[in-house]
Amino acid sequence: MPPSLRPVLSQRGNADEAHTKASLARHRALFANFFHRELFSRYLGSISGLAWAFVHPLALLAVYHFVFTTIFRAGSMDGKSFLLFVAVALWPWLAAQEALQRATVSIASYAGLIRKVAFRHELVVYASVAATLALQFAGYLVVLVVLALFGEPVHFEGLLLAVPLWLVLAIAVTGLALALAALQVFVKDVEHILMPVLMILMYLTPILYPLSLVPDSMKPWVAANPFGYLVGRLRDALLDGRLGLAWSDALAVVVALAMFAAGRWVFLRLSPHFEDFV
Amino acid sequence: MSALLHLSGVGKDYAKLDANAGRLRLVFDLLRGRGAPQVFQALDEVSFDLAAGESLGIIGENGAGKSTLLKIVAGVITPTRGVVESRGRVGALLELGSGFHPEYSGIANIDLAAALLGLTRAEIAAKRDEIIAFADIGEHIYDPIKHYSSGMVVRLGFAVATALTPDILITDEVLAVGDESFQKKCVAWMERYLVGGGTLLLCSHSMYHIQKLCRAALWLKDGRVERYGAAAEVSQAYLAYHEEKSAGAKQPIAAPRAAAAGVYAVQSLSLDPPATVPSGGALTIAGEVFSPDGRPPVVLLGLIRADGTPVYGVATDMDGVAPRRTGAHRFAFSLTFPRLPLLPGKYLVRAHALDPEGVRLFDNVEMPLLIEGATREMGLVRIDHDWSGRMPDSDGGPPDGAGPA
Repeated sequence: MPPSLRPVLSQRGNADEAHTKASLARHRALFANFFHRELFSRYLGSISGLAWAFVHPLALLAVYHFVFTTIFRAGSMDGKSFLLFVAVALWPWLAAQEALQRATVSIASYAGLIRKVAFRHELVVYASVAATLALQFAGYLVVLVVLALFGEPVHFEGLLLAVPLWLVLAIAVTGLALALAALQVFVKDVEHILMPVLMILMYLTPILYPLSLVPDSMKPWVAANPFGYLVGRLRDALLDGRLGLAWSDALAVVVALAMFAAGRWVFLRLSPHFEDFV
Repeated sequence: MSALLHLSGVGKDYAKLDANAGRLRLVFDLLRGRGAPQVFQALDEVSFDLAAGESLGIIGENGAGKSTLLKIVAGVITPTRGVVESRGRVGALLELGSGFHPEYSGIANIDLAAALLGLTRAEIAAKRDEIIAFADIGEHIYDPIKHYSSGMVVRLGFAVATALTPDILITDEVLAVGDESFQKKCVAWMERYLVGGGTLLLCSHSMYHIQKLCRAALWLKDGRVERYGAAAEVSQAYLAYHEEKSAGAKQPIAAPRAAAAGVYAVQSLSLDPPATVPSGGALTIAGEVFSPDGRPPVVLLGLIRADGTPVYGVATDMDGVAPRRTGAHRFAFSLTFPRLPLLPGKYLVRAHALDPEGVRLFDNVEMPLLIEGATREMGLVRIDHDWSGRMPDSDGGPPDGAGPA
């Protein structure tokens, strides 16, 4: 029976109150350090970084608008303007997509640190996802304001629901990010596979089209997409001003927490071996 | 008082894989909590204790597992087997850069390193100036680390790690880098740290540093503990092992054998005391020689260090003596060194039988000899000396004339 690689839970330090408190403070300080790093190095440190963070989604939005309304001559979506309909859903998707792609390679980019210093590796992924989503959420608000200024009927009271929805999104995305980042350390193809998979998923999610247009035979499958559910609720809130909660919202929260727990479990199982492979 | 650091039966395995398919399978195995089919045992059954205020040196050849062991103690990697218990803050200086990010400035890296070591923002701000002063790299502190020379990086790393007064300080071959003045600063700081009750775990190839700074030493060989004990004893054993290794390809040890026809041969060789002599003690080498023609042969006795370096050789004809006849063809010899000044280490005693003219060498018999002692003096032999003149003691007390006798 070959010797197992499973790390023994070695007893480190003592269970002192002070020690645990210091641990939490240390994690907070470290998270803050990583978060600042991610934010500034990626975006705010360079002009092009900031520009890219906004120009890319805006350009995509403009192109989709042009292609679908001018070329495909798509009519209104469920009685709403195409631009607002798509913007409300597309932006969070792009945010999640970028968060996942960045987080996947985040552990590898901290390789030097991981090989030399002891720290909780999950903080790297949290900082990466937080930096992306924080910035993209800010952008989301800006886009909503800009669209309202252009005369689109935005229901800003919907933000009361939209903010918690983004939080639920963040939790689910973090769970996925943890799993992907851990797997990427061992199997370097993950980041390459992720791109096409996300692209396909985007078309299978009712972002560019309303759920009502999907043929009845396919509807349950498309509706089962958790992201699709979130997007639908975002539209309810910001396009219709409907803020009422339903049981399905509680289910969505549970699903997001489950995704987080599962992703974290994968990460924590693999994290002790990063040093060897990163 | 319980130990500051306790290791018991610690082992670390690394998975051996090459292809990508193997990696995918490894991921599934790890998730299931199982092991890889093929592993490389980097460490096995390592156990030791370190109490507060002690200093331990880790020595061993390259690839023995020293860095792996230090990383386990520092918490960078988790062991596959065994128990690691540590109390207090562990500060580690592992390799160059110790967690520095090359793109960021010295200041930014100080903040990061301090955060990694568990300081709050307020504490970091308080210590920052002290660290910058100790590192002594001037205005470069604002430049990105990738522009630093390796010496500057080490100085900064050392300044950060030491400013945070760890309870246990771990450092490895980092002492080898850095110029003369940095090394002196390093060693001086470490001595102050030890005197102040700090605990040190030092990994070094320099037996000088190990013997100077550490009370105990652990010799790691192929991932296992080869020897663990007092620094002097373990480091001497390690050095002797290396000397023997480099002497490997020389003449094989020839045990005393019966004389072949027509050849002068050493028939027996004995040492008194056998095998081990304290440095400065007495040694007598005795033996018997066979002479085919009955004439007294010349006996050449030599003392050689384990790596082949000759220390002293003398033959009977140099002093105008001859072996004592004990039979028609047998002669006996006996050589006494009343106060053998060899420094501690492993040596060989060689006996040669030459023809009576002392020209042709016929035989070569060897016997190992171990000289024991606890001194840090270097070289092959101890030479009597006297630190004369007005020289104060190293602790600043009044001068007391002669050095250790």
